[in-house]
Amino acid sequence: MNAQLRQLLVSAGGIVGAILIWQFVATVPMAGGPLPPFSATFTELTQLLASGEFWSSLADTILISLLGLGSAAVIGVVLGILIGSFDPFRYATLAVLEFLKPIPPIVILPLVVLIYGPTTQMAWFLVFFGCVLPIIMQTVAGVHDADPVTLDTARSYGMGRTEVLARVTLPSAMPFIGTAMRVAAPAALVITVVAGLLGGGPGLGRSIYQAQAGGDYPSLYAYVLVLGMLGLIFQGVSRLAERRTLHWHASYREVLPA
Amino acid sequence: MAEANVSSDATVRLRVDGLAKSYGTGDKAKVVIEDLTFTVNAGEMVCIVGPSGVGKTTLLKCLAGLQPATRGQASIDGRTISGPPPEMALVFQDYNRSLMPWLTVRKNLMLPLRHLRLPAAEAKERCDSALEAVGLSHAEHQYPWQLSGGMQQRVAIARALAYRPEILIMDEPFASVDAQTRFDLEDLCLKIRQDFGMTILVVTHDIDEAVYLSDRVVVLGSKPAKVLKIVDVDLPAPRDQITTRSLPEFARQRTDVLSLIKRPA
Amino acid sequence: MNRKAVNWSLGVGAPLLLVALWWTLSSTSTNTFFPPLSIILERFQALWLFDHFTSDVLLSLRNLLLGYALATVIGVGLGFIIALVPVARWVLDPLIHFFRGIPPVALVPIFISLIGFGVEMRLLSITLAALFPTLIATVDGIRSVDSGLKDVSAVYRLTRREKMVQVYLPAAGPHIASGMQVSLQVAFIVMIASEMLGSSQGIGAMTLLAQQSFMISDMWAGILLLGIIGFAANLLFEIIKNKVLAWYVGSKRLARTA
Repeated sequence: MNAQLRQLLVSAGGIVGAILIWQFVATVPMAGGPLPPFSATFTELTQLLASGEFWSSLADTILISLLGLGSAAVIGVVLGILIGSFDPFRYATLAVLEFLKPIPPIVILPLVVLIYGPTTQMAWFLVFFGCVLPIIMQTVAGVHDADPVTLDTARSYGMGRTEVLARVTLPSAMPFIGTAMRVAAPAALVITVVAGLLGGGPGLGRSIYQAQAGGDYPSLYAYVLVLGMLGLIFQGVSRLAERRTLHWHASYREVLPA
Repeated sequence: MAEANVSSDATVRLRVDGLAKSYGTGDKAKVVIEDLTFTVNAGEMVCIVGPSGVGKTTLLKCLAGLQPATRGQASIDGRTISGPPPEMALVFQDYNRSLMPWLTVRKNLMLPLRHLRLPAAEAKERCDSALEAVGLSHAEHQYPWQLSGGMQQRVAIARALAYRPEILIMDEPFASVDAQTRFDLEDLCLKIRQDFGMTILVVTHDIDEAVYLSDRVVVLGSKPAKVLKIVDVDLPAPRDQITTRSLPEFARQRTDVLSLIKRPA
Repeated sequence: MNRKAVNWSLGVGAPLLLVALWWTLSSTSTNTFFPPLSIILERFQALWLFDHFTSDVLLSLRNLLLGYALATVIGVGLGFIIALVPVARWVLDPLIHFFRGIPPVALVPIFISLIGFGVEMRLLSITLAALFPTLIATVDGIRSVDSGLKDVSAVYRLTRREKMVQVYLPAAGPHIASGMQVSLQVAFIVMIASEMLGSSQGIGAMTLLAQQSFMISDMWAGILLLGIIGFAANLLFEIIKNKVLAWYVGSKRLARTA
């Protein structure tokens, strides 16, 4: 109990220390430079929180992330089941998927901006492109992980193809899909920001770009702080959601510490 | 080195004196070992038996200097143990958690030897003879995870042998291997003592094994752990899995130990 | 056997077919967004193989490698300290988790505001952004080193240095490697972003510039090159990882078949 309290105090001290150093560096050696003091950033942050413009950017960012993530999940899982269930599909797509997977969406950003312009669709498409491949590949892996004995049992009970899919294949692929979603959710946020920052899409990314281009440093830092917190929320929620929906699964239970 | 001690036959090498161990402090303290006192003479083979969960592993961790005792002390040649003693090696119960999976069998043996900064020729010679003693010369370039459980435990024993400790402590070394391998490893233990003149302390929950191996058996009982009795085993040497175990004397000794453990404390 | 041959030819054939399809379908294309592949390849050769090879391609790759190498060294080193020194962990843990929440690309505008558009900015952005995945994975890896292995190192009286180099580092190896793989992706993304946001040099800048000046074939050539680099970097990493962690790959494969 005592040790825990001390640890908490040291952690709090670390945060306070970091803020003090920031304040000091910004007001003494770099006074008047591009690094705004923490106090100015904090004031800016409170003003942002009171402005409607901020909330609409935030809403855009979250909406685009979720739209991209949701559409990637639906299409990714469907394609993944299709590819995973039929060997010819799997072999035909293997090389293409393996080639595309390590290529981040920022690579095709110029093309997508060219076609859609600085719009919501542009950002949505980038998020979709970035999230769908890992979801497809994890779903394929999950479909292949289905226990052959369970599959045989299901068939011997006379279950049809769709029934086997719904009762056996899909549930056994769920942990894989869950893991893919947990990784994809924070990535969706990052891509939305990239689309705003580099492609001019709506949301916090664009706000950051405008703050930097306009030399409005306190609000630049305030936006980055907001993004940091939003990132933590996305990570936390996706982890919690995965745990909630998959708590029944044996392979997931093993991962949790006793 | 050790010969001088072995010759005067009742020299106490390892002494455990009023040792107690509890985790936590105050009201929430959990007493694992209440009060243990016993000695191990130079060149002796002593087994500690007791029901599972009685705190045998905790005792070994105190002896090996991995954990400090709460009260009392353990000492080697009169020196209190406060950290891992240089003349001691330990074979752990979980072979798959004590061998480095990224090293081949030979390199696992070399790891402690590199620390000793031995001349290359001597290190090689020690590895070779230790591998030969456990019958694993053919597997030296394999990884531990490619071997069976019994073979992995033999690698762990070989690593201890190559270190040439004067005192060897083993924590339920044969708990997770099959019966045949177990007999082989027990005989390996007896052979090691004969060939290397080590002082050996083995913790086990198998009473037959304890009687078969030991000069003396320290019987632990109840929770928290305390010594119920120290039994002298006088079975003739050399011991043999078939003849020794069929001696009436063997049956009497094991019954003695068993009745001690079975009796409600 | 026959089935295997079919699968193999599908695996090799499908991507070839796709490229052939692209070639023929685009050969007569008058769509400005999708120029003929032959012209893209022509531009690819003209742009990257000679003109801009040293000035842009090598520059980008050098930044990527240098930033990534720095991030790896600092990440692993700092990871060791945080994992093994409790006070360092208490102080730095909350800060690290906050920084991890910030989309790495959002740090680029901050560095631009602090040190301008130069090479140093790009290098620093890459290093800092790529630092966190490796750092966090290293901390996790060391903290999950089996207590059995720690006991063994204590019993055989290994020195602190021996423990670090011969026990902790290899034992945490698989964790560190997966962190390093994420870091590599992040480094690549930030390399592109830092060039696109504020530089006239590098592959990313060239590609975005081509898009903005409506030189569509040049833009495609840039996308193609970036795609190849992303794929090749990941492939190279996989090959090295499988070599260095051969023991881990082998033991996992054995555990699966058992």
